[in-house]
Amino acid sequence: MSSLKEILTRRPVSATIRLTVPAGAARPAPPVGPALGQYRLNLMAFCKDFNARTQKYKPDTPMAVTITAYKDNTFEFTVKSPSVTWYLKKAAGIELGSGRPGHVVASSVTLKHIYEIAKVKQSDPYCQYMSLESICKSIIGTANTMGIQVVKELD
Amino acid sequence: MRGTHFFKHLSFISSWRISSQPRRLIHGVFPSPLSQRRLSSVFRNFSTSSSLPTTHSLTSPYFSVRISCPKDSADMLSEALLCFGASSTSMDEQGSDEGNDKICIDSIFSDRQDVDVCISHAADSVGLKELPSYEVRVGEQYDWIKKTQESFCPVEVTEGLWIVPEWRTPPDAHATNIILNPGFAFGTGEHPTTKLCLLLLHGLIKGGERFLDYGTGSGILAIAALKFGAASSVGIDVDPQAITAATQNAALNKISPNKMQLTLVPPDGRTHEVVEGQSPNSMGVTTESESFDIVIANILLNPLLDLADDIVSHAKPGAVVAVSGIISEQVPYIMERYSPLLESISVTEIDDWACVCGTKRRGLTVN
Repeated sequence: MSSLKEILTRRPVSATIRLTVPAGAARPAPPVGPALGQYRLNLMAFCKDFNARTQKYKPDTPMAVTITAYKDNTFEFTVKSPSVTWYLKKAAGIELGSGRPGHVVASSVTLKHIYEIAKVKQSDPYCQYMSLESICKSIIGTANTMGIQVVKELD
Repeated sequence: MRGTHFFKHLSFISSWRISSQPRRLIHGVFPSPLSQRRLSSVFRNFSTSSSLPTTHSLTSPYFSVRISCPKDSADMLSEALLCFGASSTSMDEQGSDEGNDKICIDSIFSDRQDVDVCISHAADSVGLKELPSYEVRVGEQYDWIKKTQESFCPVEVTEGLWIVPEWRTPPDAHATNIILNPGFAFGTGEHPTTKLCLLLLHGLIKGGERFLDYGTGSGILAIAALKFGAASSVGIDVDPQAITAATQNAALNKISPNKMQLTLVPPDGRTHEVVEGQSPNSMGVTTESESFDIVIANILLNPLLDLADDIVSHAKPGAVVAVSGIISEQVPYIMERYSPLLESISVTEIDDWACVCGTKRRGLTVN
């Protein structure tokens, strides 16, 4: 979402860093420390910024962060919520998906779970243009590939 | 657990070209406020969920792996590495005049065991035909700690007020200079929220006030209040590392212990119990409820909402209470939570950060 002016005056990038940080719990220590420290980025600023922006997620949810470090030691970052598979595994209460999806059912989740996951995913940068219904369909598709059954209600 | 959803079967790649040349370990001359014992105690309770590496220690070395792979699969490989157990990955930008099509990914792992397995799984999951060549190097935590500290420069918050790191000389010897060695605690003076709070204090303090720094971090606000003329400061925090850092910073600024009291409190907001439970110490600084003229809490949205009653309870009726550490879009939640407790609420903002300030309503019942 950059304006034309921003694109024309883009700062030179020095590196792209990816890591996983628990929501609201960034500290200037591993994994954040070594990854950002070597580019001389301001760790405190990142931690404070990241923690403030992830307040709306459940504490300690692992968030995928992508940081763009510029040559002048400034940086920008985007935060993605955990993958759909992570949410599905949590909702279904399992650690691993099914070994043989389509044949063996690992566990089940209800439509309400799907709806709740879709609502969280809607605030992700790449999902914002999708309708809630299409996000739900995509999540149900993922559930099928993991061998997780979607039921109307749990008995 | 390690992302088996990615693909159905693994094929281990037989030809491994590995060169591991661990660099000479630098046995830490750690900077002064950080002793190994203290550091490991901070991370005792580091959060562990099933998808994060479990060994996070500030005293053990970490492993930095440089992987060389084709440019067009670099992004996907980085993501795959994270799924399979890397702590982080980073890619340097290449100049457009680089002839070859290979790019280097630097990946950090906390456990040497994981490296080889992780790379082979990741390479396979993105469809690389052969295992990329990689080099493992041991890094000491000291490396990045030192680099981070080098990036602190003196900051002029407002005219006549400077925050200066311990290892630099103040640019203006006549200004009010706060000397800091933040260690791992928040508060270096550069962050917009710290600036907002410092400017607020600067404007508020006339002399002789009692100040409470709720969530003191490096102690910067408590120290600043005393420098501006407050009678005494109390700083509380849930992080033992913060109390350690703040105590040292107080000493650096030659503040006598009877002017500034720093206490560790439990995270559930039972601050009054801890503080009143202490026998009045020889310093003579005791804190009962409703005894502070200014209370500032620069933390995060969720604790501010949960602990609102506790934060406000420390202020005298009509005293100033300010909260920060919130981004502008979070201000409505704060307003909703604090309106019953405070009046004459005003909001100041720098960049995307906000500070909400008000005076405690008189006649509030104290729980």
